[in-house]
Amino acid sequence: MILSVDISVDFAGRRLANPVFTASGTCGYADELADFMDVNRLGGFITKSITRRPRKGNPTPRIVETDAGMLNAIGLANVGLDRFIEEKLPVIARMSVPVFVNVAGELIEEYTAVVERLAREKALAGFELNISCPNVAKGGISFGRDPEQVREITSAVRAAADDKILIVKLSPCVTDISVIARAAVEAGADALSLINTFTAMVIDIETRTPALANRTGGLSGPAIKPIAVYLVNKVYNEVAKPAGIPILGLGGIRTASDAVEFLLAGASAVAVGTASFLEPDCAARIIDGLEDYCARHHVTRLADLVGSLTVPSSLAIG
Amino acid sequence: MKSSIIDHQSSMAKGVFPATITSNGRIRECFWTMSLEFTGAGATAFAKFRPGQFVQVDVSHLGLPDESLIAPELRDVSKRSILLRRPFSFADVTAGRDKTTAELLFCVLGPASVRLTTLRRGDSLGFLGPLGNGFQVPSGKRLALLVVGGMGAPPIRCLAKLLRAECPDTNVIAFVGAKTAQSLPFEGPFDSVPEHIDFLVPAFAKFGIPSAVATDDGSAGRRGFITERLAQWLDDQRDWSPSGTIIYACGPETMLAAMARLATERNIDCQVSMERRMACGIGVCQSCAVECRVEGSNETVYKLCCQDGPVFDARSVVFLT
Repeated sequence: MILSVDISVDFAGRRLANPVFTASGTCGYADELADFMDVNRLGGFITKSITRRPRKGNPTPRIVETDAGMLNAIGLANVGLDRFIEEKLPVIARMSVPVFVNVAGELIEEYTAVVERLAREKALAGFELNISCPNVAKGGISFGRDPEQVREITSAVRAAADDKILIVKLSPCVTDISVIARAAVEAGADALSLINTFTAMVIDIETRTPALANRTGGLSGPAIKPIAVYLVNKVYNEVAKPAGIPILGLGGIRTASDAVEFLLAGASAVAVGTASFLEPDCAARIIDGLEDYCARHHVTRLADLVGSLTVPSSLAIG
Repeated sequence: MKSSIIDHQSSMAKGVFPATITSNGRIRECFWTMSLEFTGAGATAFAKFRPGQFVQVDVSHLGLPDESLIAPELRDVSKRSILLRRPFSFADVTAGRDKTTAELLFCVLGPASVRLTTLRRGDSLGFLGPLGNGFQVPSGKRLALLVVGGMGAPPIRCLAKLLRAECPDTNVIAFVGAKTAQSLPFEGPFDSVPEHIDFLVPAFAKFGIPSAVATDDGSAGRRGFITERLAQWLDDQRDWSPSGTIIYACGPETMLAAMARLATERNIDCQVSMERRMACGIGVCQSCAVECRVEGSNETVYKLCCQDGPVFDARSVVFLT
């Protein structure tokens, strides 16, 4: 008997066909991956970061591979708001998948300028607030480390975002991620995405210089997955679950099994990042794999997996 | 030259296609060559492969060879696990009726390429491609100069075959440089290579293309850089037209920069195939930035090696050196 599985999920009041997103900075602005998969099969799509003005990005080398991961220091290279509207929005308007625009900047006014301008676009489902980029001199992670600044920028962007869904993307490079998560939720975030990359460094021992022109970069890939699962579970228990706010979990996901871990830990949805560089259709494979997992475990509604981690009493602390 | 005798990648189907390995072995020193066979959709996709385009190869599932087969200087670094695909440009592509064959020329220099040596006849490997833009072949060029620096050989070899087939009236000469005779990525022998131009490199000679060789230490051909060798040769020519000449180059960035200076000074069209560290190869990761001049201004922009290149007009590139 073939079990029919409902893999749709609710995400901040929006029904998504499935919980699989592509992560910002790994899937272009719109349909760049269309040669490899049907982008409209995704549960959600998050664009590369957009800033008010175009950014050239950092000098090269911008990436370096490491064991089970990679460091990037792209520096938020992007076409800027005007060209995004002119060239990318028309393509997005033809896509049926809910599209979220990742917004970055150096000043709060730059974030709100981008969000205000895009808030009236019917083609967009919402925004992802990037306050966790480790590779720019100003802005980025410097907002995301201080709960007061998180509160300020989140409420300013919330006010500019009209009725769009606002996701706030968190950095793992903080003392207590729950403090930051709570500040974002109290200031009006509709959802949290975590985690962004870890600040890291690789040294070329032949030249005795940093492997990246930017000296440091953000570590992503399978290497960070167990830490991401831990942080998702922590934020779910301490902030998201009590507040009724969904988590978009990401960090090293490349298989359906990885995605299931995040769902069990408390993520309502997951995003595929670095793995799309290896297999451009990775997200589509994960959607298929989630369905298989549910069928194998006699789960009729995938949403029932969210936060269903059980801790045997012998392991429970306190 | 705007008019092109060859359509420049109009609509191209790219994807991940499996190939069957028909042979894989060492040519000489650290250089290996792998023969591949694509069938079905892969055969169709790669039949349209243009010289200078590239593929991304996933080697993450491959194991290491026995330690005794790994060069001592690579034993340490080869233990690192592989995550990202690796870019390669094919040295030869031949489209047949129901299959397309290709040659992957590689140098064993790190944890990914050392894994490629474990593949045997009958094994399968996935190729993401064809990617990027290959060399453009404008009409009206009576002289084409092919410039190779070390591991820049594959796309230039691929181009040599195309030029011979499609531009029979163009005079083609290859200028081949490397650090030493040992680091020439071609089938030899290169024991006593003379300084003059002759059919010195079999990979070019088989297309009737003569070559000049230069090595940094003089162990093959003339001592010195191949760009200097080319400049001397141009100086010796009595009757040649810069506008009827084109240079195609692939090699280390310092060589390409020297090539671009020479081409600019002498007003010769020059296309260079660039290399940058890249993750995706399809324009989404933004890693492989190449700084380019904006025509008619002092500004520069970053273009992407994978999507806007890897072949660029030499005059537009701001080189890293």
